[in-house]
Amino acid sequence: MNYSYPEIQDVASKLKDKERITKDGKAILRAPEFNSLFSKLKEMDSENRGKFGKEINDLKNELEVILEDIANSSSDVEQIDISAPTDINVSPEKHPKLLSSIYGSKHPLMVELDKVLGIFYRMGFTAVESRQIDDDYHMFESLNFPEGHPARDDFDTFMTKDGLIAPAQTSTMQNRILKAGKEDLEKGNPIAVVVPGRVFRNEDVDARHGHTFYQLEGIYVNKGVNTGHLISTFKTFLEEYYGQKMELILQPFYFPFTEPSFEFVLSCPFCQKKGCNVCSQTGWIELGGCGMIHPNVLKMAGIDSEEYTGFAWGFGIDRLVMMKYGIEDIRHFMSGKIEFLRQF
Amino acid sequence: MKISLNWIKEFTDVDLSIDELISKIGTQLGAVEEYEYIGDKYKGIVIVEVKECIKHQQADKLNVCRVDDGGYIKDVQRDDQGLIQVVCGAPNVRAGMLAVWIPPKATVPSTFNKDKIVLEARELRGIVSNGMLASPKELAFGDSHEGLLEIDTDIKPGTTLIDAYKLDDYVIDLENKMFTHRPDCFGILGIAREISGIQDIQFVSPKWYKENIESPIGNGTLALEVNNQAPELAPRFVAYSVSGVEIKPSPLFMQSMLSRIGIRPINNIVDITNYMMTLTGQPLHAYDYDKVTSKNDGRAEIIVRRGINDEKLTLLSGKEIALKESDIVIAIDDEAIGLAGVMGGATTEVDENTRNIILECANFNMYTIRRTSMDYGLFTDAVTRFTKGQSKRQNLAVALKTLEMIRELSGGQLASEIIDNNYTAQKISRVSISTDFINSRLGMKLTSEEIQRLLGNVELIVEKENDNFSIGESFWRTDIEIKEDIVEEVGRLNGYFKLPQDLPYRQIKPAMVGEQLQTASRIRDLLSAAGANEVLCHSFVHGDLLKKSHQDSSLAIEINNAISPDLQYYRLSITPSILELIYPNLRSDYSDSDNKSFALFEIGKSHNNQDKDEDNLPLENITLGLVFAADSKTAKRHFEGAAYYQAKEYLSYLLEKLGLPLQFLPLNNSKDYLKDDIWFKQLVEPYEDKRSALLVIGKEPVGVVGEFKNSVKTSLKLPDFTAGFELKLSALDNVNSETTYLPLPKFPKIHQDICLKVDAKITYDNLFNLIWDKIEASKPDKTSFDLRLVDIFQKEDDLDNKQITFRLTISAYDRTLTTESVNELLDGVASTLEKEISSSRI
Repeated sequence: MNYSYPEIQDVASKLKDKERITKDGKAILRAPEFNSLFSKLKEMDSENRGKFGKEINDLKNELEVILEDIANSSSDVEQIDISAPTDINVSPEKHPKLLSSIYGSKHPLMVELDKVLGIFYRMGFTAVESRQIDDDYHMFESLNFPEGHPARDDFDTFMTKDGLIAPAQTSTMQNRILKAGKEDLEKGNPIAVVVPGRVFRNEDVDARHGHTFYQLEGIYVNKGVNTGHLISTFKTFLEEYYGQKMELILQPFYFPFTEPSFEFVLSCPFCQKKGCNVCSQTGWIELGGCGMIHPNVLKMAGIDSEEYTGFAWGFGIDRLVMMKYGIEDIRHFMSGKIEFLRQF
Repeated sequence: MKISLNWIKEFTDVDLSIDELISKIGTQLGAVEEYEYIGDKYKGIVIVEVKECIKHQQADKLNVCRVDDGGYIKDVQRDDQGLIQVVCGAPNVRAGMLAVWIPPKATVPSTFNKDKIVLEARELRGIVSNGMLASPKELAFGDSHEGLLEIDTDIKPGTTLIDAYKLDDYVIDLENKMFTHRPDCFGILGIAREISGIQDIQFVSPKWYKENIESPIGNGTLALEVNNQAPELAPRFVAYSVSGVEIKPSPLFMQSMLSRIGIRPINNIVDITNYMMTLTGQPLHAYDYDKVTSKNDGRAEIIVRRGINDEKLTLLSGKEIALKESDIVIAIDDEAIGLAGVMGGATTEVDENTRNIILECANFNMYTIRRTSMDYGLFTDAVTRFTKGQSKRQNLAVALKTLEMIRELSGGQLASEIIDNNYTAQKISRVSISTDFINSRLGMKLTSEEIQRLLGNVELIVEKENDNFSIGESFWRTDIEIKEDIVEEVGRLNGYFKLPQDLPYRQIKPAMVGEQLQTASRIRDLLSAAGANEVLCHSFVHGDLLKKSHQDSSLAIEINNAISPDLQYYRLSITPSILELIYPNLRSDYSDSDNKSFALFEIGKSHNNQDKDEDNLPLENITLGLVFAADSKTAKRHFEGAAYYQAKEYLSYLLEKLGLPLQFLPLNNSKDYLKDDIWFKQLVEPYEDKRSALLVIGKEPVGVVGEFKNSVKTSLKLPDFTAGFELKLSALDNVNSETTYLPLPKFPKIHQDICLKVDAKITYDNLFNLIWDKIEASKPDKTSFDLRLVDIFQKEDDLDNKQITFRLTISAYDRTLTTESVNELLDGVASTLEKEISSSRI
């Protein structure tokens, strides 16, 4: 760009010098040369003043663009030999090396999930990960939520522009799992699957509520499965997980996809019902929901609901981990803070 | 939803302690959020007669009263007639009235739960006031504070407030989600029936609560017509007019009951409709008859219809809304006067001048009410109940009981017929079920008599023939459709805690293990053992992050209703999410901050709007991403050269452990591999072409490793020493991780270095492979060897060449190798290479 005032043109050529600009970096926008231009500006008549001032600004803008180009340009990026294990002229003691394992950590949610899955594997369950984007059919319709049903209000779901859903619960996988297991079921093998995965709620976030958390869904279908089986299966899991005898209470609840439906409440494993901070002094902890799979849900997967019955449950992994370690803020999990991560 | 235990007890016995009751409700009805004994608030508060009321000499607005408490309070100053002096500023205080006295040492009830005020005897402008006379607000009977609460019935002075209004009560707050399919449980009557049922006590509905009733005939003075133009949305519409109502406060027993469960008393008519709604779950609405007719040439014709787009309606709350066709509207002539089932209109509101009213007791489509409620953000008590789908069969009973209360409490008379047109009696839903079915689903051994009793206790219609039942839906219920509904009912009323707890039978056949989850788990073990930290990042990202990472947001799936712009898009790959964590971690002072180098990794999913799976849903790409970063001080001290090699070190470690062979291709020479892969192009976008490698299996790109573009580094404030990789997890599945074993050598190994000066353009692996192949071809018999890099050196004054030193380790299985033979081998390699690539041995 050329400037009509020789004073500005002069400064421009000085400042646009590649060496100068690389050396000064952003400081070039406050170079002493500008001060001299501004003092000239003050002496000018009103006709020239505006034009002169505008050209000073133009120069600054031009410099900013050059600065940005330099920052972003890859023209001076050197090609490296990507096939080598190390760079040229690096002394052997500074060759690439892995960090000491003392710094390493697995995410606490994943560690816990592995532990939980391990128990269910031993109990004869297989595992399938849940989807992070799904359609209305799987999230609602196949789960016996009619269109417009108020029960849908219990979930503040994230919707995409194309009408897809960020699943609010791992039950979004139920229809697929039932369908996949149907053939084997009819050969006499139960459907026994756990579904870990991320679920999403479009809610305000605070220390106890994240918009994203991990859930574990469980599904068991066979001939002759009854409500007593549901309670005992889940209780067995909890006792194995906590390594102690537990009490489990089912509170009647309503979910469209189970009948009957419950919330399960367990005796606090941290204080043996005496009352502590984890259970808010009540001795009991509400952990998740469960119930006998609604016949409509089985039918929707092509399974004969007269012949086969089953149960399903879901609970949050975040909650288990928070209780276990006394983690005060659910947001730490997805904060990526090394200070947090390296404690595990 | 709050309920009053004393109100419940009007309909059923409760033979349990409060703790037993709460725990029983929890396990057999639904979760209790909390409960409170409200009697504590009213301790010591007593009804008094104001015997004398004279003006305070020193204060215009105060009166000095002498009140009679029937001698109830012991420890208080009395005059010679036994009366107590109380100073009072309320405008309605007068001799002869019955008022409520809060004596010294008692607490003002409205302050009981927060900032407690305990009264005492103290001087007011020189005259001692022993406690105070109380307003409704101070007694937590609504929020009126204009004057004293006047006792409206003949009660003997000295009666405690608790006794007079049954305030020895527990208010129980029930979570109501479990009643989504039980509209009847949004009424005291429904809850009382269930509390009776779970105690195994036969419930008996009050006499007025029945489905088929003879309607009374009105005096015919106030004509009323209902023109229901939308019967599909308003399947039942009961209405009548009442003449000669006197609007006044409702009786205190009613005000007290409504306010303890959180409903503000307004006037007798509004309070009656609220009282009946709370009792039965059926919302009601009263219109001012004369306001309705004045708008319509003296005719009272109520029209039920759909809204007209953009039609205006001012609601009772004062808010004006523009209606939509999807709404149900109550109208007169061409003017909307109410948003049906949601909120009444302001223009026909019942006020203190109202003399005649129209009472509506209707049933509306739950889906329509729900949509309207969401559209306008109106969540009223009526909406809560209508959206559960109230039974159409109870309207007449509720309407007539309401009429009876209006007569009693306002003096009004039925002035029209009871309009209930277009309603035809419903067929009762029935379910056939056997004792065996119920027992098999529950895992119990109940007798048919027990089942009959449990269901009969809550007044379901039970017809039994041996072990077979036909269960009919009582007129207040809407949830008995399938056998499982009966199983639920029996299980719950009997108590789930009584179920035997057997585990299901299981086969010995081992369950399959989720392969992908296993792979992820193994990677986690390996990388954490290599000092890396696993992170979990959000699946959603801000559009700015995509931009900073050079990714194209038009390919990202966009969230429509995100609460925050941070959650605008599904991420296109994992690398940007991890890059975003680098700067905050470098800035934070986590321990060991002298050595600020770290590797963060995540195994996660990303999506785009182009790639679809077999269900035509967005394909879920699972990748492993890792980023290594060190601040300049640490990089200088521990890591020299390009950061690329540090990321590659992690990748190579992983590949070696997993036994996965991958091809590394310079990214700037391998664009052909990416040609049609929209997603993969996005994945490599943040990476700098000249300092990254594409990872390929066969022809398929499976990952990228490298440093980041300068602009990415600038905008995400990355330190110079940053590099990473991202790799499809599927590439790591199914890899042959079986180790190949070589027998241990019995004879000593020989180590020998070979340093070659080669053209700087020859790549490392090219040279390595050449040497390897030469050694392999000419090595002595029965030997095994290994070749490792020692270093790569370049003289400052000779940039066209580089010197690479390798160390050969070789041994034979059956003899001790001689140094001479190894020298000979390497000499041969060097001279062949000299011919082939013009290298020279140093």
